[in-house]
Amino acid sequence: MVQGTQINRFNLTTLRDFLLRQGFNVVLVVVVVFYALTAPRFFTVANFISLLHAAAPMMVIASGLALVVMTGKLDISVGSTAFLTTSVGTILMVRNGVDPITTLVILLAIGALIGAVNGLIIVVLKISPLIATLGTMIIVRGIGLEITKSTTISLPEEVRRLGNASIGPIFVDILIALAIMVIIHLVHTRTSFGRWLIALGNDQDTAARLGIRVNTVSFMSFVLSGLLATIGGVLTLVQVGAASPSIGSGLEFTAVSVIVIGGISLFGGEGSILPGALRGVLILEIIRNGLNFLGADPYAYRFVNGAIIFIAMYADSLRARLPVTTRTFEAPDTPKSG
Amino acid sequence: MGNPYLEMRGVSKRFPGVQALTSVSFEAYAGEAVALIGANGAGKSTLMNVLGGNLQSDEGEILIGGQAVSINSPLAATANGIAFVHQEMAMLPTMTVAENIHISSFPTRAGFIDRKAMEASTAEVLTRLGCHFTPDTRIQVLSTGDRQMVEIARALLSKPSIIIFDEPTSSLTSREKARLFDVIRTLKTEGVTIIYITHFLDEIFNICERATVLRGGSTVGGGLLSELTTADIVHMMIGDVGLDTRSAKHSTQQREVVLKVTGLNRRGVIKDISFSLHKGEVLGLWGLLGSGRTEVARAIIGLDPIDDGQIEINTGSGLHPIRPREAQRWIGMVTEDRRNEGLLLPMSVKQNMSIANLRGLLSRWKLIDNRRETELATHFVNRLNIIISSLGQPVKTLSGGNQQKVVVGRWLELNPPIFIMDEPTRGLDVGAKAEIRRIIFELAESGAAVLVISSEIEEMMALGERYLVMNRGQIVNELPGTSTKNELMGAAAGAAQME
Repeated sequence: MVQGTQINRFNLTTLRDFLLRQGFNVVLVVVVVFYALTAPRFFTVANFISLLHAAAPMMVIASGLALVVMTGKLDISVGSTAFLTTSVGTILMVRNGVDPITTLVILLAIGALIGAVNGLIIVVLKISPLIATLGTMIIVRGIGLEITKSTTISLPEEVRRLGNASIGPIFVDILIALAIMVIIHLVHTRTSFGRWLIALGNDQDTAARLGIRVNTVSFMSFVLSGLLATIGGVLTLVQVGAASPSIGSGLEFTAVSVIVIGGISLFGGEGSILPGALRGVLILEIIRNGLNFLGADPYAYRFVNGAIIFIAMYADSLRARLPVTTRTFEAPDTPKSG
Repeated sequence: MGNPYLEMRGVSKRFPGVQALTSVSFEAYAGEAVALIGANGAGKSTLMNVLGGNLQSDEGEILIGGQAVSINSPLAATANGIAFVHQEMAMLPTMTVAENIHISSFPTRAGFIDRKAMEASTAEVLTRLGCHFTPDTRIQVLSTGDRQMVEIARALLSKPSIIIFDEPTSSLTSREKARLFDVIRTLKTEGVTIIYITHFLDEIFNICERATVLRGGSTVGGGLLSELTTADIVHMMIGDVGLDTRSAKHSTQQREVVLKVTGLNRRGVIKDISFSLHKGEVLGLWGLLGSGRTEVARAIIGLDPIDDGQIEINTGSGLHPIRPREAQRWIGMVTEDRRNEGLLLPMSVKQNMSIANLRGLLSRWKLIDNRRETELATHFVNRLNIIISSLGQPVKTLSGGNQQKVVVGRWLELNPPIFIMDEPTRGLDVGAKAEIRRIIFELAESGAAVLVISSEIEEMMALGERYLVMNRGQIVNELPGTSTKNELMGAAAGAAQME
C-alpha cells in the first residue's frame, strides 16, 4: 500500500479476479458465519443433516442439468419431468398396484424418453434449446396435470416410509444424492464423453471439425438430464409422501440458479459438478434454511434468491469478458531475435 | 533422388459447374518440403482435400511409397500416414493442451481417461516441437504461435509420414514464423514429407526444396527451387499479365491531399510511417505478408493504439489533425474479413447497408424512414450491381463477392472522402474481383481517395497509381504507377532478402 499507485492498482485487479473466481465461496462462508451468529440452532449437526436432506433432490437434478449447460445449452424441462414421472409413478403404484421397483424402472425410462425427445428436437430440428425445452416443459406438465386431474395423490404407506429411511443419523437420500454427484463428477472429468461435453461448450463447430460426434453428445446430455431429473423427482416424491401439482413447479429456475451460482458458465465449456454444482445447491439451501430460523417472511426467500441469481449471472458474464492474457512460451535461454 | 514417396497422378475433380482439377500430377520425396503454389481458386485446396480424404477425385490415382492407395475418408488418410494442419485452427480454449490434442480419441483405461498416458504422449510431442508450455496448460493463455504448435502437435500424434500445412503462417508474427520453420526443418530431418500450401513466395524459398505450381486447376510448372527464381514462379502463377489490364494512371501532383500521416509508430509493429493520400488517387500499399500493411490501416482508423504520430484529414477546410478513433467518420474501411469485421450475417441486405447510416435516415418523428432506407439501398444495389433476390435477403446467403459489395455499399451511403481497402478481393472469384476493382476505380473517379492493400501482384498492378513498399513495419520505397511487375516483386522481395 505504501509503495504507490502501481501496487494499489495491482491489488485491485487481483481482488477483482479473486472475487470473480472465489466469490461464491466467500458468500458461502459469510452466510454460514452470519447465520451461526444470529440463529442459535442453525449451526448444529442435526440442522446440517436436515439441510442436506432437503437439498438431496436438487443435487441430483442440478448434476444432470449441469451436463447440458456445459455444452452451452439449457434444459428447463427438468421440473416438469420430475412432476410427470412422479405422478405416473404414484398412479401406477396406487391404482395399478405395480411394485415400487418396477415402477422406478418405468419412471427412469419415461425420464430418459423425455430427455431423448428434447435431444431430438434440438439436434434434428435445430430448435434453440431454451425454446425447445420450454415447449416440452409446458407439454409435459400438461400431461401430468391431465392424468392427476391436478389432485394430490398419496403414496402407499410402505413407500412413504422410505422418506425417512436413514443409516444412523444420516438420511439415505443424502447418500444416494452424493453418490450420484460423485458418479456424474467422474463422468465429467474422467471420461471421453465428459471432455466432449466441454469441447461442445467451447465451440460446437470446432468440436465437429475435430471429429467429435456433436449430435450424439448433445443428445446424450439431454437423456442424462431427463434421467437425473426423474431420480431427483422420485427423491422429492418420497420425502413429500404424495404426488402433487407443486412438485417440480419452478424447479427449473432453482436448478439454473444452482448451476450459475456453482460457477458453471451458461456460455458453456466451464464448470464442475464437484465442487461447483454441489456448492451451488448448498448456498441456496443454506440461505433458505437460515431465513427460516430467523423467522423471515417466507416470501423474502424469493427476493434473496432472485438477487443472488442476478449477482451470479453478472459474475458469469464478467468472467466471460475478463481479458485472458496470452503469452508466448519460449526457452529461457533463447536470445530475443528481432 | 530415387522414387517419390508420394505421387498423385492424373487427378481430376469436377464440381457442379466448375472443373476444379484437370489431370493434376503432384509428387513429393521423403524428407523434403514441397511448396504447392497457386493463386486463389487454382485448385490447391481441392487437391489437398483429395489427399486428405475430404473429397473423392473423379479420376486419378495416389501412390504412397510406390503402392497405390485408396483414400476415401479422413480416417483412411490418417491410416496412410497423412496429417493435415488446417489453416483455420480448431482450438478448444477452456481445455488443456493435452485434451485438445487427444480430443477425438482419448487414451482410456477401463472406460476412464488415462490422464498419465495422455500427458506423457503430449509432453513427448511438445518436446519434439521445442515447446515450452506443459500439457496441462489451458489453450486460453497461449499466443497464436503456440496454438499453431498445438495444432501441429495434434497432427504429429498419429506419427504421420506426410504432413500438409495449409497456409500455416497467415496469422503468425515473424518470430512465430521462424519457430514454425525450425519445426518444419526438424521434421524434414526425421524423414517426414512436407507439403506446404501458400501464396507467399518469400516463405517457400526459405523452407522448401521443390515447388509445384497450379493455375486454373492444372499443373503449370514446378521443379527444384534452387533452379527457379521468384519471377519464374510468379510467371507460372499468374501467366502473362496483359498491359491492357492497367488503368489509366493520372499524375497526382496537383491534386489536394486528403489524408496525411506523419511519423506513425506502434512499438514492434510499425515504425515511422509517413505518407500522403490525394483526392481521386488509388494508392497501393505493397509488401509481403507480415510487412505491416494491415497494421498501418488499423492504426490509422484507431483499431490499434499508436505510440506516437499524427494523422491529418482534410475535413473540408484544409488538413486537421484528428485522433485515430475519429478517423472512422471520414474513412470507410473494407477488409478481407467480411464476416467478422463488417457484416451482420443473419440480417438483410437492406439493414446491413443502412446500419451505419441510421441517423441519416431519421424522419421528422425521429423514426427510421423506411422508404428512404429502401430507396438508398436500391440505389446502391443497382450501382454496385449486387446480385440479390430481394433487399430482404439475409446477407449470409450471398456469395463472397456480393457480400463484399454490400460492405462497400454501406460505406457509400455515408459517402466518406477516404477508403481503405485491405485485401478487398481475397477469396473472391475472378468475375467478382473484376467487379470490385471496377468499383474502386469509380470511387476514385468520383473524387474519393483510396488506399489499397493487396497480396496479389496482378491486382496491385491493375489498381495502383503509386505504390508504397513496406517491409518489417516500415515504408522502404515508393514506386510510380508505371512500375513493372518485376520492379514491384523486386522491391518487396529485395527488401525481404535484407532480413
